[in-house]
Amino acid sequence: MNAPKQHTLAVRIRRNRPFYLFISPFFILFGVFGLYPLLFSLYLSFVKWDGLTDATFVRFENFATLFLDESFYIALWNTLVIGALYIPPMFLLAFLFANILNARRLPFRAFFRVSVFLPCVTPMVVIAIVFSLLYSSEAGLFNFVLTGLTSLLPWEPIRPIPWLESEAWSKISVSILLVWRWTGYNTVLMLAGLQGIPEEYYEAATIDGASRFQQMGRITLPLMRPTFVFCSIMSLIGTVYMFDEVFVLTKGGPGMSSTNFGLYLFNRSFTDFRFGYASCAAYTVAVAVFVLSLAILRLRRPATD
Amino acid sequence: MAESALYRPARRATAARFKRLAWITVLLAVSALFIFPFYWLLISAFKTRAQIFTMPPQFIPMPVVLENFANVLAQTGLARAFLNSCIIAAGHVTLALFLCSLGGYAFAKFREAPGRDGLFAFVLGTMMIPGAVTMIPVFMVLVHLHLVNTYWAMIIPGAANAFGIFWMRQYIDANVPDDLIAAARIDGCGEFGIYRHVVVPIARPALAALGILVLISTWNNLMWAFVVMRKEEMYTMPLLIYLLQGEMRTPYGMVMAGGVLATLPLVVAFLCFQRSFIQGITAGALKA
Repeated sequence: MNAPKQHTLAVRIRRNRPFYLFISPFFILFGVFGLYPLLFSLYLSFVKWDGLTDATFVRFENFATLFLDESFYIALWNTLVIGALYIPPMFLLAFLFANILNARRLPFRAFFRVSVFLPCVTPMVVIAIVFSLLYSSEAGLFNFVLTGLTSLLPWEPIRPIPWLESEAWSKISVSILLVWRWTGYNTVLMLAGLQGIPEEYYEAATIDGASRFQQMGRITLPLMRPTFVFCSIMSLIGTVYMFDEVFVLTKGGPGMSSTNFGLYLFNRSFTDFRFGYASCAAYTVAVAVFVLSLAILRLRRPATD
Repeated sequence: MAESALYRPARRATAARFKRLAWITVLLAVSALFIFPFYWLLISAFKTRAQIFTMPPQFIPMPVVLENFANVLAQTGLARAFLNSCIIAAGHVTLALFLCSLGGYAFAKFREAPGRDGLFAFVLGTMMIPGAVTMIPVFMVLVHLHLVNTYWAMIIPGAANAFGIFWMRQYIDANVPDDLIAAARIDGCGEFGIYRHVVVPIARPALAALGILVLISTWNNLMWAFVVMRKEEMYTMPLLIYLLQGEMRTPYGMVMAGGVLATLPLVVAFLCFQRSFIQGITAGALKA
């Protein structure tokens, strides 16, 4: 064996020429569509620019405007509320479905998996329009079923819910769509997590007399921690930057009641053409999301006793 | 005493059967809830606007109307949009698979290349850059390269994605034997030939999973199409369907018919390549 150290760096690089050739397309494309935009966007955060006329340098004015912009806080608040509304039920359902798919040999199992997963592969725009029909307050199926069911009850049947027309309901309507859309994705991730837990752990626990409940608490939940952390980070990023769902279903309305950060950013960029201001907002939130993700990532390893 | 001892197992079996039946019912009910919007999409495509909004709702279209499909094809640019979407999807998926497998192979097998680990860490680091931050500058780059309103505007950005390189590297590292590459090299196979004739055939399952993942995101991409496709003849399926919604009166029948045509290819592909689909989605969790 001739040790690589005998050769000079230049020789070793030349010998591995195909390596550099093969990875160069990535780096070229990343330079043009990743690194340069990243730096340019940072520069834009300090200028005022509509994309056509000359940019003017405004120092920290964008940041000052951002921190005083009420609609920015509304968008962040909406993001938080929508996340709080849909992520917990989605995680619960996904965990339940993953356990069913993992443990039970039942007929229709494959059919169940396909139907839960199907929403992940379909164009959001189409589904959002279908949901807008279902949510229609006078002629929508949801209200038809709800009023029909409650009319069977002894007390007053409920009035039709203004799913998309009221500020109070729009976030809930978006959240229902999100649960439907993303449960399958999380189910598949959690199923992969469950299948990664060695069968022997459960066998040993059963021999030791641990109940199903104890096995869940002592084996499944702790070992699923990395999966939960991954799902949480994906959901965090997904909710902040979500676009299609709100853009099509509610256009962020009524008012701003269902505008999340992703739609807010899109509107500042491509409706108002405030490129400098939008870049500033994008950077600020990206840093916040990054810090939050790192904080969640720290939960990945169980605290050492 | 003896009688009840004999009787008990039978009763337990009945209970087990009942429990099983209950589970199947729950499973089917949940499946029905998840499939329902697709069913509603499909039947709405066969209804007139009046039928769509009639009360009580028609769970089976009466009568079945076929005009929506003919109308949406004749009165809108749907056929062209379908073609555009196909061209973009084919171009983007091909380019992404080529670049990711080439890069993944390099990172997996050129172990002695100086700087390999550092460069790979750099590639992984790029995954943390959110698209929202680079959106405006990427758009400006496309404007300056005169690529707005061309297929390239949706084919090139995102083609060399770090996750794809990571995914292909993992697979090639684990599944392509070094000896095979060495043997090919001794036989006088060129470096690109090794990639083409040795690595790619073995990496086919990983390519399928990645390809499907990329296909879903590019076929369904509404926002970027909205930004870079400003001419009607360049609209993609999601963009065209989005824009069919009028300010005042949306032709829902046509929208639903278009929606069926936009959804069908992916649903069919999903049903055919289920395993690869789910593998591709799960792949995202492996990096965690």
